[in-house]
Amino acid sequence: MITVDHLTKRYGSFTALDDVSFEARAGRVTGFLGPNGAGKTTAMRVVAGLTPVSAGRTTVLGRPYATLPNPGRHVGLLLDASAQHAGRTGREVLTLGAILTGVDRRRVDHLLDLVGLTEKEAGRRVRNYSLGMRQRLGIAHALLGDPEVLVLDEPANGLDPAGIRWMRGLLRGFAERGGTVLLSSHLLGEIERVADDIIVIGHGRIVASGTTGELLSGSGTVVRSSDDAALAAALTARSVAVTPTATGALLVEAEPAEVGQCALAAGVALLELRSGDERGLEEMFLDLTASSAREEVAA
Amino acid sequence: MSTTTVTPAGATRRTGGSAPSAQDDAGLPASLAGPRPRTGIPFGRLVHVELRKMLDTRAGRWLLIGIGVVIAGALTILFVQDGGEHPFGDYLQATTMPMAVLLPVVGILAVTSEWSQRTALVTFTLEARRVRVASAKVVAALLVGASAVATSFVLATATHAAAIAFRGATGDWTMPGTAFLGAGGYVLLGLLQGVGFGMLLRNTPAAVVAYFVLPTAWSVVGSLVSQVRTAAEWLDLNRTMEPLFTGSLSGEEWARLGTSVGLWVLLPLAAGMWWITRAEVK
Repeated sequence: MITVDHLTKRYGSFTALDDVSFEARAGRVTGFLGPNGAGKTTAMRVVAGLTPVSAGRTTVLGRPYATLPNPGRHVGLLLDASAQHAGRTGREVLTLGAILTGVDRRRVDHLLDLVGLTEKEAGRRVRNYSLGMRQRLGIAHALLGDPEVLVLDEPANGLDPAGIRWMRGLLRGFAERGGTVLLSSHLLGEIERVADDIIVIGHGRIVASGTTGELLSGSGTVVRSSDDAALAAALTARSVAVTPTATGALLVEAEPAEVGQCALAAGVALLELRSGDERGLEEMFLDLTASSAREEVAA
Repeated sequence: MSTTTVTPAGATRRTGGSAPSAQDDAGLPASLAGPRPRTGIPFGRLVHVELRKMLDTRAGRWLLIGIGVVIAGALTILFVQDGGEHPFGDYLQATTMPMAVLLPVVGILAVTSEWSQRTALVTFTLEARRVRVASAKVVAALLVGASAVATSFVLATATHAAAIAFRGATGDWTMPGTAFLGAGGYVLLGLLQGVGFGMLLRNTPAAVVAYFVLPTAWSVVGSLVSQVRTAAEWLDLNRTMEPLFTGSLSGEEWARLGTSVGLWVLLPLAAGMWWITRAEVK
């Protein structure tokens, strides 16, 4: 369980994170989605206690990260696969982690085997590793202390398709065991295939969040009306699920016809009524990506 | 070996209804037995890891091998030259000097490599209380220094004894007591100074250059510029340590030594630690 509560991080006049709040719950994979430079990594570093905040607070397993006793036994982190000493062997990297967290060193072999690094590869120095191998080593390192929470920043980078599929299975299995998984990606396709919940971040703000079903549902209806509150109340009275979307509309778990009838009965004028389509999230995401790309060109 | 179980419902959920492959099953590591720790990492374990980190990289290892080679060379020269007829102090100097000059680099690398190799990201997430990590580095550096000093004493003693036994040298074991302190202090303070400079600058080339150039430059300035001469007598570590090798120290000489150690060793360490606890780790 990870909670991020009204988190703001400023670097001088630049606001990297602007009042960000979200939760990653136990037993679920939470996908943290956003274009490059949106603030995903900064948020994850704050969660891990590496970056001091300007305002707000974060907790992991109900307490600030810095107060976790032997954090490696509770939280597995992979914040940057390249952040390993180039002159150490893969095995040595894991051995150091095992000694520090007090884990039996035999677990190093178990994990090397699990992430698919051979005896020979484990004996090579990290400088000779491909990015994919570094990611595998990083995942092994994150799993070393048998954590309850996993925080992984772009773990799919550099992995081959088989590796990505393997990792998906791993994260799903981890969550089904009751663990919490927070993983970031700038690829919607990657996130939607593994995550139960999705948080979309752009320019340091949360622009959408909800279950993957809600955000990507092909069913349901998107509605905008003259009085969303009254319409929502009317729909809820019919025991129809209603979720407000980040863009100020309502996402309703019902057919457009039923929503229209309900609006008529409630005396609310419809401004927009359409089938919820899974293009919504992708379009929003592309918008975000495009606007940040433009900024980069301008800068 | 415990086997991991993945419920079929979960495993098939995302794979479009196809049966989970054996690979999917193998995806989870075995759970660790026993409850999760409620206590922090013991300090000894932190020191153990920091010690290991000083020696498990190619840079660290070659540095030690380099020191070993230089010492072996120096001892061989003393042993062969003039029938090994040198006082014990010379032998001790041959073993401690290379260590005092090169070991500080081990201290510098112990800190700067965390930043240049970005392992600080891992180090400070496995132990979030950064002061403990920094202190473990200091203690590990002291342990490396202490074993280096012990080794240099043993090697110097053994070679001097060998020169007496096999080369027929008369032998001269006389040495002022403070010289042992000086030799040990030379190595240990150098290491601590290296750690301190590393913490302050967090950049290997900058720390190495600053470590070797600044004190020397200060010595040169102190000897050339009359206005700072008095200051140099108090603040030039090279100069304040000299009396240790010649014998007894007066009260003022001790005070001078303390002042210079404070400036070159304790101040960088304290400032570096302060910075480390507050910095953003990237």
